[in-house]
Formats: sequence, structure tokens, C-alpha cells
Amino acid sequence: MLGYLSPCLTKQSSVFLLVLALGGCRCGGNDQIKKGQGSSDSATSSSQTKELPRQESLYIGGIQWGEPTSFNPLNDSAAAWPCRTPNKLIYETLFEFDTFTGKLEPLLAKSYQLTEDGIEVTLQETATWNDGRPVTAWDVKYTYDIGRTNKSAPISAVWDYLDDVKVVDATGQAPEPPEASIVAPYPLKVMFVFKQTNKNALRILTSIQQDLILPRHVFGAAFNAAGGDFQKLVSLKMDNNPVGSGPYKLHSYSAEKIVTERHDGYWGNKVLYQDTKPVPKYVVHQMYNSNDQYSVALQQGRLDIASAFIPRIWLKEKENVFPWLKKPPYYEGSSIPMLFINVKKPSLGDVKFRRAMAHAINYADIRELAVSGYSQDLKSGAIMPSGVESKYYSAEDAAQVGASVYDPTKAKDLLKAAGYQGVFDAKGGLVETRDKNGNKMPTLEITSPAGWTDWESIVKVVVKSFRDVGIDARERFVDANLFWSIQPKGEFDLLMWTPASETSPAQPWDRFEFMLGNQGIAPIGQKMWRNYGRFNDPKDPNYVKRFDELLVEIPKLTDEAQRVTAYRELNKLFMEQQPTLPLVYRPEQFYQYSTAVWTQFPNGENPYAPAFIPGYRGGTKTLWRLKLSAK
Amino acid sequence: MLHRYPRLHHGLNRLGWYFLTFVVAITINFFLPRMGPSSPVDILMSKASSTMDSAAARNKEETYLKEFGLAKLADDGSILRDQEGKPLKASLLSQFFNYLLMSARGDLGSSIIQHPKKVSEIIATAIPWTLALQVPTVMIGWIVGNLLGALAAYKRGVFDRVFYPLSLLISAIPPFCFGIILIYIFGITLRWFPAMGGYDDGLMPTLSWNFVVSASYYYFLPFMSIFLIVLGGQAIGMRSMCIYELGTDYVKYAKQLGIKESKILMYMFRNAMLPQLTGLALALGTMVGGALLTEMIFSYPGIGMAMLTAIQSSDYPVIQGCTLLITVCVLVANFSVDILIGFLDPRIKVQQTSGKGA
Repeated sequence: MLGYLSPCLTKQSSVFLLVLALGGCRCGGNDQIKKGQGSSDSATSSSQTKELPRQESLYIGGIQWGEPTSFNPLNDSAAAWPCRTPNKLIYETLFEFDTFTGKLEPLLAKSYQLTEDGIEVTLQETATWNDGRPVTAWDVKYTYDIGRTNKSAPISAVWDYLDDVKVVDATGQAPEPPEASIVAPYPLKVMFVFKQTNKNALRILTSIQQDLILPRHVFGAAFNAAGGDFQKLVSLKMDNNPVGSGPYKLHSYSAEKIVTERHDGYWGNKVLYQDTKPVPKYVVHQMYNSNDQYSVALQQGRLDIASAFIPRIWLKEKENVFPWLKKPPYYEGSSIPMLFINVKKPSLGDVKFRRAMAHAINYADIRELAVSGYSQDLKSGAIMPSGVESKYYSAEDAAQVGASVYDPTKAKDLLKAAGYQGVFDAKGGLVETRDKNGNKMPTLEITSPAGWTDWESIVKVVVKSFRDVGIDARERFVDANLFWSIQPKGEFDLLMWTPASETSPAQPWDRFEFMLGNQGIAPIGQKMWRNYGRFNDPKDPNYVKRFDELLVEIPKLTDEAQRVTAYRELNKLFMEQQPTLPLVYRPEQFYQYSTAVWTQFPNGENPYAPAFIPGYRGGTKTLWRLKLSAK
Repeated sequence: MLHRYPRLHHGLNRLGWYFLTFVVAITINFFLPRMGPSSPVDILMSKASSTMDSAAARNKEETYLKEFGLAKLADDGSILRDQEGKPLKASLLSQFFNYLLMSARGDLGSSIIQHPKKVSEIIATAIPWTLALQVPTVMIGWIVGNLLGALAAYKRGVFDRVFYPLSLLISAIPPFCFGIILIYIFGITLRWFPAMGGYDDGLMPTLSWNFVVSASYYYFLPFMSIFLIVLGGQAIGMRSMCIYELGTDYVKYAKQLGIKESKILMYMFRNAMLPQLTGLALALGTMVGGALLTEMIFSYPGIGMAMLTAIQSSDYPVIQGCTLLITVCVLVANFSVDILIGFLDPRIKVQQTSGKGA
């Protein structure tokens, strides 16, 4: 029987081996990516490419997780790298935020002017889409108008602060897309008109360095083809040689990788990079399943640069893998993971109790035990003491009123002053916390998503710190899915989160707004997507009006000295009230690179570009400076 | 009348039961993911809402609810609200009937988290990886395992004494654990084989010689991680069956009759094969939902990974699609075994005919 079965089975298995060979074959590239309309140069020849020479390819990882679904920048939940902001290889923004100087650097636009009425932006004269058409003020207006008429578009949020986006030097109406051709002179100036009732320059500045500008002739035509149905437009994949203005084009993609190919006719080569081209011909984003795999791939030289949390990074130096800085903290923090406090709970509504908690936490333990030492020393307040925000930070104020300093004795004193006391057993373990009437305080639970291991470690350190001084607290690790429901409803005592984690011109205001903003404050049980702890409810007896005034005032200020004063006041108030508990600093990306194939990556010693993966924000600059490794 | 065709009767009877099981299974598939307190819209919101003020965020949430059929709609398509102005949720029952209706039409719907991707598309991308990982390994492991098991039973001696404990040991290791050990030794320390991925990073998946060579090279470790374990398990089973058969009366009788040894072996093998065959069919059936951990550690974007991602984000339609697929595969495999056994096993054949015919 076996003699009869086996040949047939082996034949079958060889067929399946073939299936394996085709396993990853659903490649969007070679068969599916057709030549775009009017696409000029290398599209035809390149789509024949079946192999990527290692010496011409830069392998990156850690931005896109999982299979790419859509390359449509309007699809804010599913758009894949590199068509998702703030990645700027295919589509570009008007400006680039320089994380070192805090200024907006030219990209599609070359300059802007901030006035009382709004922001006037002037575009580059020579910017073109990769199909050869010019980038005009009509494109910018079109992109923003999408958000004006469609409330579910990602760009609609900024319209809360905009009255209009106008083409300033209009030479008549823009023709209906797809236009036959656009001849100079076409308009290059756009005015972003403030909404006078909700004036906020910071939000607009954030938008112009973050929102990707789309080609009107392509999206307008697609919109018309979709019968004017916006949801239909969003559901288009836009993976067919997308027309962007950036230095790379989509080459192909599959479940394991996305390949982009250099666009040799990139307009910016001349204007922004002194007539040079990006060095790697291909930028390839690999998708793996876990941080460990990114770590192994870097050490084996399969990946050149990746954003992934790799513990004890200093041990990887012998494998030619380096982080941003050669010594601790290895990365430069730019955001603050913290505990949001539900101030509607009796104990947590008491400022003395909140300050006692701040003093109780062993911040050095968090840094060393939970995050592999990847953080500067924590300072009091919610302004980063280093980097571009540091000009608003005052060490003097922190010394005066700051409570985020580990001091268990002080914590116990404050706790007593608030009327709370820990009851310990003979071995020194905490039994319970009693309030002033001698009643047991309900155990405080610290909520964090289960499986976010670094956060779980942070929470464990906090729990131990709290219990040491007599605050009855426990971990509450919930399924990540459940976490997303708990968070906006405020159904927690203390909750881990990083507010407004992205670097932008609006920082640190954006972080404060996220922690303290009380517009449309919702009762516990109903959803609000900021200020999860319901701090500073105008109906509360402890309401501090000055917070709201400062939050409204700061975005209107244009004078830097006034801004410094206002931020100092805001941060001082924050330290006095301690509405949340900052715990540690975290970089926007855990940046590490391998020198196996490429060198000249920017780092702490040679910071010619920020600590971002090439293509991500200002990290794009890196592509023009890389060199092949001599090894 | 059916009694005159006992096999057909048996088949139809089983079919009925399997259909019932199927209905129960898809009902559970639908309700189970929705029993939890979490909602995919909350997850989408956490991604999308960071720069929105409260009114904009509420607006966005309602767009999502409407789009995914989670809100109760009035006849004109607008969202119905309660007194406080909060949108009313669509009832589970109406969602369920909608789901049944769509499934009957073969439409699995589209993913919520990876909107607008169709569930069928997600499954179609993932299934080749899962099949490629498992079909050859299970098949070859099964064949080689059975051969070696039979050999060990027949030969005994040194071969058996080495082979048997080794098989026991290997078959007791969970595949993912074995996979990690293989990666550590051959992928990271010795660097003989790639530690993860399906083919060389610089290649495009095409039917070129380079690609096939590269894919086979990358396939070696994941193949071994499952193959050896299947082999071990099958060999143990086959060995015991053969030893049992060697001691049966018919073998002794055949020996006394002086029948050629190879002929006896054939008889013996056929009998010992039956439970092994059942095992193979079941293994192929459950395979689809199987090797999540192997997929994870070797970075294979297969069905297991697709399902894990979906469960982690409460992506109901994708969970339903995957579980439906697994349900169907398991049921079809079981059903085939039920029917096949009826043909292959003379004892069951007799039972069917005598039992029903009497």
C-alpha cells in the first residue's frame, strides 16, 4: 500500500513546495503596478527589476507593522508606510519641523509669514509631482478643502481653527481635474485664514509640517470617478504608481516588504540638496512580527536601520549596531509617559495626596529597571528639560515647587497632612491605607495594557514605591482592547499613557492641552479623548481658571519672551497641582542602525539629521548623505 | 428506502450532524468575539483622535459606527440617538442576521481595522503561507514517520532502542520551542540558515530559479521545526501498532502457512495504517488554525498571524472569517475521515450493513 501511496504523495508535496515558492507572491509590484498616467522616466524599466542589489538598497523597519492594506493617505486608519504621515518619501508636506532648532524648514513651501489674520505660505516654484506636473497653490487648497467638506477626513481636525484656505495670487479659477496641462504663471501663494473665535497658530503650524499635500489632478479625478462619494475615495487603494512629489516612488509591495525606488527627477534634488541625488536606489521597509526579529535582523546586517525597542542596546555594539548616543541614555527623549489621575475619586482629588504620590515614586528604579536606562533623569513638570522645549523649562521653578523628586519621608508627611496613613504588618508589608475617619481607602488600581512589557515594569515599580510609603495600590493590567474602552470613559484610578507623543511646533502646549484641556468635559462613563482624568472641571470646587486662560493664551502669543513667561507660569501651576504623574522620558523613535552595509548615519556626535528612520520627518535628509561601508 | 443503501444512509446521517455542528459553531464564532467589553471603534479612535477636539472626535466616532454597521440607523440613513444625544447601538441580533445573510452569499465582509480590505482578501494572502508551511511538513513527516516506525517495530534491536526514545523526546517538544532552539543554534550562533523570513530580502517573489533556491533555503528551519516533531509522533504510533499486529493471530497463522514475509508485512501494514490515516486527515484539517507560534517566530504572515492581529484589535469580521475557515476545514476533515473509514475498515463496513440491514 505504501509503495502505491508514496510516489503520488511526494509528487503532491513537490506541488506544495511550489506553493511555498509562490507563498509571498502577491506582490503588488511587477504585475499590478502599471505605469502611471504621463509617468516619464524609469517606471517601465524599473518595474522589470526582480532583484534588489544589496549595495543599492537601504533596508529599514519598525514603522509599518503587518501587511500593507492601502496606500491612500486619506485612509487614516490603514494607510501604509510610506504614504502615511509623517513619512515623506512619496507624498510631502509644506514644511519640515527641525527638531533641533524648533523652526520650520522648507519642503514643498519655501517660506511662510505669520500675521494677525493667518499664515501665508509661499510654495517652491520648481516643485513638481512625479508625473511632471507642477505643484500649485490649487493642490494645497484642494488638499485642505477635502477636510472642510468631509468631516471624517484626517485633515478635517484642523478646520476647527481655520476659517478658510485661500489661493492668494489666483489667476482665475483652477480648471476641472484632470486638467490638460498647467502653464505658468500658476498660483504659488496660499493663505491659511485663522478662525477668529478659535484662533490657534500652533495647530496650523503643526498641520503644515504634518499633513501630506495631495495632487489635485489625481485625487480630484478619482473623486469624480467615485461619483463624489468620499467614503468610496477613501477606500481606493491608490497603490498603482501613486503620484506624489517626494524623492521616491512606490515600486512594489507584499505582506513582507514594501519597496520604494528613487525618483531621479525629484524636484528637491536641485533646490534642497545642491544638485545631488539620494544615495540608495531602493528604500525597502521590511515587516517582521516582533522586536526581537528586528534586533536579530539588524545584528545580521539584513536591516540597516530600524525603530524597535531593543533592551541593553550597548551589548550590540560588537555586532555593529549603534543607537543615537554612544552612552546612556542612548536615546534623546521627546515625550513623557505618565500616569493620568482620576481626580473624581475622593483621595485623588486632593492635591496633597497627588503630590505625595509624586514624591513616593522611585524614578531612578523606573529608568534603570523598566526602560533599560533609556531616559534622562526625570525633572518635575511637564516640559522636556532638554532639546527644543528646554527654553521653556526652568530648573529654578522645579526646585521651588516640583514634587517629582523621590523622597519617601516627604511623601509620608504629605500623606499624613492629607489625612491618610498606611497600616503596616510586623514584617513591614502594607495592610491597608486609612483615611482621616479611620476607614479603609479602596485600593488604587494602576491601569496599563497587558503585554506592553516596558509599561508593565514601570507600573510594578510605581506600585512598590506607593506601598512603601503607605499608599495601597495594585497593578491592573487589562487586555489592550479593553484598555481603549476604559481610557476615554475615565473608568480607572490611575492610567498609563503618553500624551501628545509626537514632536511638533505645538509642543509643549499640545501636551498640556492633552492633559488639561476641559472643553466639552464628559462625566465618567462617557467618552472624551483627552484629559482622561477629568482634571479641572469648571464645575469642581477646586477649579483653577488660570489653567484655561493660559491654554487659550499661549497659542496666540507671537513674542518668544512672552511665551517663555507663559510656559513658566503654566508649568509652575502644573507642578503645584500635579494633575498627572510624569514618570520617564521616551524618544519618538528608538533609533538604531547597523554599519554592515551603509555608514554616515546621523547620530549624537554627527547630528546632521534628527534621530528618525530615513523618510520619517526630517530623517529624509539622511538619504543624501549615506555612504557604502568599506567593510 | 435509504436502508437499502446503508453507506448512503450513513453518509447522510453524518452530514446532518455535521451541518448542525456547523450552525452551532458559526453562531459561537459570531457572538464570542462580541461578548468582550472592547470595541474596534475605540481602537480606531485611539489612533485617529489625538489632534481632534471633543466635537470632532465624537463626529469621527459616529462616522465609524455608521460605516461598520454598529449604529442603529433611521430610514433616511441618519443615526438614531437616545435622549442624551448618544448614538444607539445596532442590536446584536440584527447584526447576526446580517452576518448570516452575507455569509450565505459568500461575502465575508471587510475588515474594520484594515478598512477597506476585504476579509476574503486577507485570508487569501495569508493562506498560502500557512499551507506552504504545513502541508509539506505534515505530509512528509507522516510518510517518513510511518515508514521508520514500521521499520523500528519490525527490526527491533539497536535501531529501535535508539530511535524510539529519540522519537519520544522530539515529539514531546512543542514546535515553537523547538523552532526557537533551531533559530538560536542554526540561525544566530552558527548562521548557517536565515533566522526568519520567507526568501531573500533583495528578491521579488517570481518564478525564477534564484527565488526558488532562496525560498527553499529559508524554508529549511521552519520545515524542520515541524517536520521532526510530526515524524516523531507518527513513528511512535506506527511502531506500537505494528508491534501489536506482529503478535496477532492472523500474522502467526500466516507465518505458519509459510506465506512470504513481504506479503505478511503488507497485510500488517495495511491494518496498522488505519488509525494513522485518521490522524493524518485530522492533522490536515486542524492545520489551518495550527501553527500560530511557528508563524510568529519565523515571521511568516500566515493565517495564525492574521487571526492574532484580528483578535488583538477585536476586528470582528476578520475573526469570524478565520474561525469560519477553520470550522469548515475541521468539519470537512472529520467528515472525510468518517466516510473514508467506512470504506477502508472492513469491521465498520460490516457494522453498517448488519446494523442497518437487520
